[in-house]
Amino acid sequence: MSRRLHLNVNILNAGVFGGSWRFPGTDGTASYTIEHYTSIAKRAEQAKLDAVFLADGPSLDPQIRHRTANNLEPTTVLARIAAQTERIGLIGTLSSSYNDPVELARRLGDLDYVSGGRFGWNVVTTAGAVAARNFGRTSEPGHALRYRRAAEFTEQVVAAWAARTALVSSQGRPVVVQAGGSSDGRRLASRVGEVIFSADQDIEHARAFRAEIRAGAAAFGRRPEDVVVLPGLSTVVGGTEAEARARRELLDEILPREYARGRLAGQLGISLDGLSDDEPIPPELLVAPDEAGGSQTFYRMVKAIIETERPTLGRLLKKLSGGGGHRIVVGTPEQIADDIELWFRTGAADGFNVMPDVLPSGFDDFAGHVVPELRRRGLFRTDYEGTTLRDHLGLGLPDAGPYELRPLEPAL
Amino acid sequence: MSPVIQLALAVGEPAAPPAAGPARGPVPVPLTGAAAVAAAAREAGIAAIRLLDGVAAGHVLDPTVVAAYLAGLHDGLHDGLHAGLGYIAEVPTTHNAPYNTARRVLSLDRATGGLAGVALRAGGSDEVSQATAPGPHAAGPAARWSEYAHVLTRLWESFPRAALIGDQEAGVVVDDALVRPVDHEGAFYRVAGPLDGPSSAQGRPVVVADLGDPDVLDVTAVARSADVVVAGRERAAGADAALTEALRRAGRSRKEVALLGRVEIAGDDLGPGDAATAATLAGELRDWAREHRLDGFELVPTGGADAVIAAIRALTPLLTDTAGSPASPRPLTLRAALSLPDPAAVAA
Repeated sequence: MSRRLHLNVNILNAGVFGGSWRFPGTDGTASYTIEHYTSIAKRAEQAKLDAVFLADGPSLDPQIRHRTANNLEPTTVLARIAAQTERIGLIGTLSSSYNDPVELARRLGDLDYVSGGRFGWNVVTTAGAVAARNFGRTSEPGHALRYRRAAEFTEQVVAAWAARTALVSSQGRPVVVQAGGSSDGRRLASRVGEVIFSADQDIEHARAFRAEIRAGAAAFGRRPEDVVVLPGLSTVVGGTEAEARARRELLDEILPREYARGRLAGQLGISLDGLSDDEPIPPELLVAPDEAGGSQTFYRMVKAIIETERPTLGRLLKKLSGGGGHRIVVGTPEQIADDIELWFRTGAADGFNVMPDVLPSGFDDFAGHVVPELRRRGLFRTDYEGTTLRDHLGLGLPDAGPYELRPLEPAL
Repeated sequence: MSPVIQLALAVGEPAAPPAAGPARGPVPVPLTGAAAVAAAAREAGIAAIRLLDGVAAGHVLDPTVVAAYLAGLHDGLHDGLHAGLGYIAEVPTTHNAPYNTARRVLSLDRATGGLAGVALRAGGSDEVSQATAPGPHAAGPAARWSEYAHVLTRLWESFPRAALIGDQEAGVVVDDALVRPVDHEGAFYRVAGPLDGPSSAQGRPVVVADLGDPDVLDVTAVARSADVVVAGRERAAGADAALTEALRRAGRSRKEVALLGRVEIAGDDLGPGDAATAATLAGELRDWAREHRLDGFELVPTGGADAVIAAIRALTPLLTDTAGSPASPRPLTLRAALSLPDPAAVAA
């Protein structure tokens, strides 16, 4: 069978841009209502997407004054979506750092059962002191420890799913999704990840990343085709190229400035105080990625942009547009389909985790215009061929383990 | 005031029938059967379904997942006469860090428009909190329950609804001056907060305390945070007076709490042909409630979905004062359905 493109929509509250919630014609607080999520999920199911994807972290974003943030717990949202849809896959992010594996394995296994085998678990580690303080800690656990724990934790959860004899879901057990781009994260992806949610600006690098993950999976005794690599893709769709560019410009204009500076400083772990928008960022401010504390994936990406393009602070903020560093494509449905097709056909991606610029309007444009174009090119399904998330992704049910279950290290 | 009725239900997969005799207690109802039970419960005017966790007679699905799913199924009925049935998810302290429980239950409450609650079960710690637990754990599950419930109620108030502004012109989503950390430091937990989402339409989710399960909670332990107290047959006598006194000591009034008497209804006792049995039982229960000043009942039918539905249909009209009267619109929130006032602000 020929390769099939896979598409998820990441319902990242009001949209991936820092100013999404201010976009003209948008209800600024819609992402604080459940209907925002259920209605986009229904639309995604009509468009025959593989899954909806929910990001999450157990804390209040300190930047909440200036941009909307994730604010509903994913398993309760996805259970409600499950009640109101029939086929669309349901991927939720849940922390391996701050959950008890016994409870999480049970709850996620039950959500998979209740949804008829449509659930996928995006395993993340939770960085940052803000979340740590909600769980009795005073500071964030170190990167290496977080990833060691994530590996142990994931193996325990998968082993618990595999051991179920009652309330077993139609797909056997949930799909394991993994996102980390760090060296620790890539190793975890190769070992247990079935869907890899990556972040890449550059097609050559993405090709190398996918090849590395597939080779790594093979080294762990897995089949390379049992890993689906889906880079994040921020989309700005316009009826004409000029319309798309104008939409992108407008998103830059409505980006709350304080938010953009604060977020970048947080991502890089440095202070931007005193640096004006027209000054370049001194590269010597940046440490090596493996020494950075927070998200290494975004750190690497931003560092690469700073080193190769030497942008001014203002220009860098505009390039990132508060969107967190995923690749942004701007254009007509045909141009965006060209980009997706190129990445897909040349081995840089098995599909994309689509992050529309503004929700719901940006997703309506994607589902209404880009998806039909991909379908005309024979790249995307015209209907679901199965009922489970594993069916949609073309994933079988590989043997779980055997893992050597080790005592779990607390994220301290 | 008409008695409040809450239905206890386990959803999942029954265990294979034992060789001798029926299983004791509630039997898990399959998910499809649970949807039918919920529809019947709504129609009968039941205030809420308490989704049980961990019953003896089978495998139970996670109550927060089931609550979110069942409430989602009936979303289309949210307006009009058949609007909102409440869902109370049982969550044990064991294996659940309080910040996670608070988020999950508040998410459910917001998604249902203020129709959710938690029946917090006394137990042990969780793997995450254990690693940094401030003190030794000699104090036991009742003290842990009190602290845990208090943390929940404080977290649920940490991000007031009024703080969510969404001023697109000014570029301000949230008035962050109104959002306050809780900075809880107790014997069992340290939780900074605030939560990531605003408070719900009913102020905050309802907290249910069960004095019979697992038999470690008393009125003193639950007085600070409980909105509903459930007492079994053997604990009901004197519960009202003891609860009134415990609430007074906690600075609260008896009107702020609904005291429900727990009633197990065995198997197929109340089929369609058992009108006389139902009338007798309902009479006894109403007398019992009057005698002990109970505000209502928690019904615990022990049969399958059909038996549960039969029990609801036979008994509920006889226990409430609405029989024969024209259907009145349902209250909009679970607190209103339980005849509870808006919650008072929680002191640190």
